[in-house]
Amino acid sequence: MKPIVWLASFPKSGNTWLRLLLANLAATGEPCGINAIGTARALASSRQWFDEASLIASGLLTAEESDRMRPALYRHIAAGAADPTENDEAGPDRGDDPLRAWRLVKTHDAWTRTTTGEPLLGGRAAARAAMLIVRDPRDVVASLANHNNSSLDEAAALMGDPRSALASRADRQPLQLRQQLLGWSGFHASWLDQSDVPVHLVRYEDLQADAPAALGALLTALGAPADPARLARAAELSAFERLQAQEAESGFREGPVRMATGRFFRSGRSGGWREELSVELRAKIEADHSPMMRRFGYLDDEA
Amino acid sequence: MFHYILSGLRVASDLAMPGLIDADPGPAPPDVRICAGDVPLTLEGATHTGANWQMAADRILLRVPGIVRMLIDGGHAITWQCEESTTPADAAIFVFGSGFGLLIHLQQRCIMHASAIAVGGRAVLFCGPSGAGKSTLAAALGARGYGHIADDQCVLSGIEGGEVLVHPDGRAHKLWEQAIAKLDLAERSGPPIRTALRKFFVQPTSGSHAALPLAAIYILGEARTPELVRGERVAISALNLADAAIAVRLNAYRPAMVERLGQAGLYLQAAAGVMRAGGVFRLVRPMAFDAMDETIAALAAHWEEIGLAEGVA
Repeated sequence: MKPIVWLASFPKSGNTWLRLLLANLAATGEPCGINAIGTARALASSRQWFDEASLIASGLLTAEESDRMRPALYRHIAAGAADPTENDEAGPDRGDDPLRAWRLVKTHDAWTRTTTGEPLLGGRAAARAAMLIVRDPRDVVASLANHNNSSLDEAAALMGDPRSALASRADRQPLQLRQQLLGWSGFHASWLDQSDVPVHLVRYEDLQADAPAALGALLTALGAPADPARLARAAELSAFERLQAQEAESGFREGPVRMATGRFFRSGRSGGWREELSVELRAKIEADHSPMMRRFGYLDDEA
Repeated sequence: MFHYILSGLRVASDLAMPGLIDADPGPAPPDVRICAGDVPLTLEGATHTGANWQMAADRILLRVPGIVRMLIDGGHAITWQCEESTTPADAAIFVFGSGFGLLIHLQQRCIMHASAIAVGGRAVLFCGPSGAGKSTLAAALGARGYGHIADDQCVLSGIEGGEVLVHPDGRAHKLWEQAIAKLDLAERSGPPIRTALRKFFVQPTSGSHAALPLAAIYILGEARTPELVRGERVAISALNLADAAIAVRLNAYRPAMVERLGQAGLYLQAAAGVMRAGGVFRLVRPMAFDAMDETIAALAAHWEEIGLAEGVA
């Protein structure tokens, strides 16, 4: 038995950074490589993992049909049944990892139910908890536009669309399984308002202000040891400039092929929207998302 | 009954599958029988289980929830049963795809997850996980006159010594709507593979219905960081025996079955046979339709370099 802990986020909210911070909790000397964390089984929407685990080609299934199979697949891996293809994650030796009792699995899926009424991600039988990382949507929009090589307006439209999804084109086989986002507000509401799996929230802005403290609070909430020296070292090894330097040196496997700036680790700032967004776009995002933004305290200082 | 030649085996089936190679029934009993019947929900004495499958000795029970479940028995029979309101036509691809591929695994034979085309009368394989571009590359080469051999499964025989042969898995490509449009193959496009999918059978311009000797295996990779080759968008590199052995095992039709069925030795032997026949290469290229010409030019140059016949098969 090795339960999943979901690392959930809307895209461009710091999920990769959180994964690196967690991976670096076990690092001894060298930082964990940015290309060492992204194995197929560490991603809920991995098509390759689905195909290997189910013995079925997901490409022959509609999104609804593959969704119907996903809950049982997550419960099966959580139950820890023997799987000869399973290797421990690449990267630093995780023998001394305070998180080794869990499977950390990234997801951009909103918390939805399948056509047969099951939680897509398998409910409590699959996962012990979720870490939900959230970022000010006014900062997400510029990062998302860079990632998708789209305009800011298109990125804001996607965030405001309750039917938005990743990997949802039906005329081809997307590299990943379809992930329903439900828009920025819908995504967060789906996770926060479900009662199947406990959710531990961390704000990108708090990680940025004091990574050891925010990460420590997260681990404590999850019942994992939070050794201050370890937290400080993980934060140092995952500093944004270091990640950018690694990307400049070797590139980032998980980045999209066409990015506007050519960089996945773009700015890593908070509040960049003050320079990057027009008055109109800021107004649109606030109009689209103000109830959820208030829930996270993103409109407090402007009340 | 329908009669097909599939991966070198004579198959008698009450389930029709478009896109396969038709065969005469002949006097001898078929190698594989595919029949409708009652399929249990659990398999007694299962030694390995997944979320939707169970394995006991030489039998596998495989379920696609709401669509079909099947019992793959001893490497010579598949019993299938549709679930809910699924029609046999909509379930057939699972029986002939995963079901048949697992049957080959149970037969203790080597089956690669690969497409294949003919170059100079020999077979060239393209391997990679689902979505790696196997079918699209084979179809693009087919449109340039290279004969079609396989779309998804390549059974290798003769790996224990002598000539390694590749057996065809059907007579049609299986392509998504986008690929059909980009490769300008609308004229050759047939029915959808399943009613709800925008993926279609596409007739190849020419093809081989007979087994062909293996020439080379290419493992498909996408040209992206960190393995982006600087200055060169398409790169082909030869794997040494150790890396080839790993690549062949990881590109088995269902790699996890190699271990579950104790076939590590079989696939090592296959890798040695492949090295003897021509070798294993890694082909890294951009996964974009506008890079297809460049990819095919690099392959054609490589085929000349390794002594495969110049030009079209």
